[in-house]
Amino acid sequence: MASKEPLTNRSPLVIPCSYLTTEGNKTGSWRFLRPQYEEKTSPCSAACPSGEDIARIQMLTAQGSFKEAWETILVENPFPGVCGRVCYHPCELQCNRREFDEPVAIHTIERFLADTASRYELKFGLDKLAAKKQKIAVIGSGPSGLAAAYFLALLGYESDVFEALAEPGGVLRWGIPLYRLPPHILNEEVSRLQDFGVRIHCDKPVSQNFLKEAKKSYDAIFLGCGHSQSLPLSIPGEGLPGVEDGFHFLNKIRRGDIPTLEGTVAVIGGGNTAIDAARSAARLGAKVMVIYRRRQQDMRAFAEEVEMALEEGIEIRELETPVEIASQKGDLLVTLQKMRVAQEDLQGKARIKPLGRKREKIRVQHLFIAVGNTAAEDWYDLPSKTRGVTKLNNCVLEHRSREPVLVYGGDLAASIKSVVHAVASGKEAAMALDVLFKEGPKAMESRLKSCLVGEGPSLSMEIYLGGPRAKRNHSIVSYESLNTDYFRFAPAISRPRLLREERLQSFAEINLKIGGSLAIREAERCFNCGLCNQCDNCQLFCPEIAVIRDDNPQGRHINYDYCKGCGLCVVECPRNAMVLEEERL
Amino acid sequence: MKQVLEGSHAVAEAVRLARTQVISAYPITPQTHIVERLSEYCADSTLAAKFLRVESEHSALAALIGAASCGVRTFTATSSQGLALMHELLHWASGARLPIVMANVNRAMAPGWNIWADQTDSLAQRDTGWLQLYCEHSQEVFDTTIQAFRLAEWLNLPVMVILDAFFLSHTYEPVDVPRQNSVDRFLPSYQPRFKLDIEYPCAFNQLAPPNIYMEMRHNIQAAMDEALIFFDQVEDEFEDIIGRRYGPVEAVQCEDAEIILITSGTVTSTSRQVLTELRDKGEKAGLLKIKLFRPFPTKAIREHTASAKKIAVIDRNFSFGASGIFAQEIRAALCNHPGHPPVFGYVAGLGGRDVTTAVVEEIYWLTKGNDMPQPESIWVGLHEVDHAIGQS
Amino acid sequence: MVEIRFHGRGGQGTVVATILLAKAFFRDGYYVQSFPLFGVERRGAPVEAYLRLDSKEILIRSNVYTPDHVVVLDRTLLESIDVTLGLKTGGWILVNGPEPPAYLKSWSGYKVAIVDATHIALNNGLGTRTHPIVNTPMLGGLARVLGMPSMEAIAKAIQREVPSKPKANIKAAEMAYEEVRVLEAVKDSTSSSARA
Repeated sequence: MASKEPLTNRSPLVIPCSYLTTEGNKTGSWRFLRPQYEEKTSPCSAACPSGEDIARIQMLTAQGSFKEAWETILVENPFPGVCGRVCYHPCELQCNRREFDEPVAIHTIERFLADTASRYELKFGLDKLAAKKQKIAVIGSGPSGLAAAYFLALLGYESDVFEALAEPGGVLRWGIPLYRLPPHILNEEVSRLQDFGVRIHCDKPVSQNFLKEAKKSYDAIFLGCGHSQSLPLSIPGEGLPGVEDGFHFLNKIRRGDIPTLEGTVAVIGGGNTAIDAARSAARLGAKVMVIYRRRQQDMRAFAEEVEMALEEGIEIRELETPVEIASQKGDLLVTLQKMRVAQEDLQGKARIKPLGRKREKIRVQHLFIAVGNTAAEDWYDLPSKTRGVTKLNNCVLEHRSREPVLVYGGDLAASIKSVVHAVASGKEAAMALDVLFKEGPKAMESRLKSCLVGEGPSLSMEIYLGGPRAKRNHSIVSYESLNTDYFRFAPAISRPRLLREERLQSFAEINLKIGGSLAIREAERCFNCGLCNQCDNCQLFCPEIAVIRDDNPQGRHINYDYCKGCGLCVVECPRNAMVLEEERL
Repeated sequence: MKQVLEGSHAVAEAVRLARTQVISAYPITPQTHIVERLSEYCADSTLAAKFLRVESEHSALAALIGAASCGVRTFTATSSQGLALMHELLHWASGARLPIVMANVNRAMAPGWNIWADQTDSLAQRDTGWLQLYCEHSQEVFDTTIQAFRLAEWLNLPVMVILDAFFLSHTYEPVDVPRQNSVDRFLPSYQPRFKLDIEYPCAFNQLAPPNIYMEMRHNIQAAMDEALIFFDQVEDEFEDIIGRRYGPVEAVQCEDAEIILITSGTVTSTSRQVLTELRDKGEKAGLLKIKLFRPFPTKAIREHTASAKKIAVIDRNFSFGASGIFAQEIRAALCNHPGHPPVFGYVAGLGGRDVTTAVVEEIYWLTKGNDMPQPESIWVGLHEVDHAIGQS
Repeated sequence: MVEIRFHGRGGQGTVVATILLAKAFFRDGYYVQSFPLFGVERRGAPVEAYLRLDSKEILIRSNVYTPDHVVVLDRTLLESIDVTLGLKTGGWILVNGPEPPAYLKSWSGYKVAIVDATHIALNNGLGTRTHPIVNTPMLGGLARVLGMPSMEAIAKAIQREVPSKPKANIKAAEMAYEEVRVLEAVKDSTSSSARA
């Protein structure tokens, strides 16, 4: 038994212990690979014809910075309210999230941001560049003309927009049905442009004489007159009463001249005008069929619109084309030739041939023709010469010394006829004119090339203006390059809409508003491909504590004294906003 | 005050009265009641400790290694597979000289899955540098847990308090729970000899090359040697304040015994009953309970068995390819001791099989009936198995 | 030493019954030891729990094989379990039920008592018709047939240990104490040999 004396001699304790700092060990000297922050291009932004910085817009939305997100749209597109409704959103097709679960509802977020700006009467804070001496005349106040005037104003140019009709907007006002775009949205966006300094002169139809006069007082003329002339079917009976042009039918409704339709209506065509006309007719009480010579999947109309048309009870008759229209007892007797798919082209669109002599006669009360539009005047046609002419993606410039520049834009020159392409056209024209005035025609191509989003053809005004986006790598972030371990499966929000029954009763807007929390939740689904959203993974994973937070816009920097180039930060970056490069010795 | 407590709750009460500061554990039967009760105490502020929930036993001990390095009193509890999962960090805790206290509820190792009493889990960790204390009843469990903090903090070594699955962990019996001020007197707040301190940044346990590693190991052994002395010191102080002591070993009627049963855990208690009956029959039997297994009380065992003719060790554990582990250790302790009695090794009660008074008695008579032990271990109570695989 | 075995089903409070009884006996000055059947617990499955009591320290730490008495909380268990297994001759079998069980004939050599603990439990708002809490009334019945522990000790144990409706539980135990019916010849429980 041990003594009762307390034990005082504790044996010594031997453990390795160091009070030296490890700061002396500059592990950065081991490095042969160098991680760096490098933002890249998101596939959605490259897919957007007007090159909107979508990944950043989602990031700002997710952070609740709705105004900043809205302004980020406005740098590239003056019409978030319009495009948030009528754009066919090719961005969502390229969304990397599609590979994971479902694409982000980018279109809905754009509409939400526009609605929010409208609700709170937000004023955008974009600054115009210093005033330039050149003046530009813009013919037509459709989306391309207004966009051109807007971007020119941003670049410091004065312009005058001449509109033939009593109100501005072109196709936005006269061609798109109310249920897709209520007029007050358009009015708001146009007045914002006017506040920004865009002058619009209505009831000013432009003749060739006017053009001659204009050439004296303007340094450039932008022709954005659109394709307002419908193409004919060129078949017997086209002029019979009851046969009408689909585009005019839509115009009439927008003007408030609303006809009543009874019985069966046939719409010939497969473009958006055909579907718009069909759905408008359905709202006026008719039983509607769309007759298209190819298949439904070959239609140029946006798939979503076609689907809604089907939901609304419209019948689509594929592979049929009218060959004759006759009048019989007040009805129209339409002879349809059956067609067949001869082959498919590279895009999978059908090439068709008549199916022998197989024909069918149908009886309808009205017939709308919507097989395409063209320019209303032949002097709108693109120049056939090549000298002094520069063809860009969405506009054509005719520039000769001592002559004002003539720019053909919008539908006259755009690769695809859509609102967002018209915006792209106006932007391209504004940028091209600025280069032309400042550096001459030779600089145009290379200067515009440097402003491509990714590999193009979309252009970015922010890049042109040298904003932060200009520093971004043009390579597009692929799904494989993301670290999806950091993302959770979450379905996209379902876009709230009027019920089918409600839709058919009026021309009320179909798509409904979403609230802020829903928008944030949806925007949070965005991978923010190629952008740093301050998730801090790099800092968390750095074994050398070499990622240092700071106040610069990146929010952090790498301390290369200690970064040993292990590359963990790059691997753990969920969104490919970093790059690992060989150290340059 | 005496109250009827479950063995697991006796541990929890001791940890509460020890004013433990950080607890981390992962649930495993039959240990769960210990940390369940402690988590309730942490939640309702009965105990001002931080309870760290973790995803595994490995993490639980890792968390405590971090906490103990910062100089706070720490506790965890586990069992069986959970203890095995801690294995790597058991070495770390002792090598880093951290006074972590753990309750291990002895449970058999799988497979087959078995949640019942068996000492192989803790004995398999005998070389990790932890003190090991095997308890006989809930009062001893309670007292030993309190003492464990004193031992650990003085020696800078981790201590494992070990209790049998169910026979202790799930059994209610009267336990005297002393008042807080008595416990405080016995166990003052922890004064670490070293700790991580942001005011004086330092690093512990970095590279220990060959020129220092051996000295570090020798230093741990020195602390183990010190533990054999300090254990008595601690019991003296405990007895002064609380009024109970157990000893590293306890010899019951060994002075004149011809056959001494050596036991640990709850088998000891049942054997006491058998001893009384044997003595009543005039048998010269004795009982030696081993409580302290690491450090191994070689000297005390030699002394208490010096006059016996035979020793019978009951092992509720087994080392495959060798023998029962207590028997091994006792043979090793005695082999260089001139004139030591032969050691009979018995394996009984594995995987929770009951060690009844009849089993203990059988072991006594087997020992008495043989002059010298034959095999390394005799397995008591094996029966025919009629569902073996691979037989035609 | 007296050993008592409780039969019940997981969720009926069988284990709690032995703990309460242990505490009541402890309060009355006995050494006690109580434990469940060691193993996995599942709601609805048959469970057993045990109690040892003695006037001196209990050293034995093995299972209970030859109980002095058994208590059956759920009479449906009689269909599948031989509750007399190992039961010492002359021991009590206390069964929860309104009337004598059909097995009575095969229980010769034992003393049998019944108490309608389910009815008492429900009358006191303990549990539901499908899951009555019968453990506390069974304790009252047992206290009566064994003549120990005291009802005061049982009431105190319930008061301290039962978190939900302690008053109703005490009332139920007291009612069972009054209502328990002895079926064998032995009537005067206080003179029973069940004393430790």
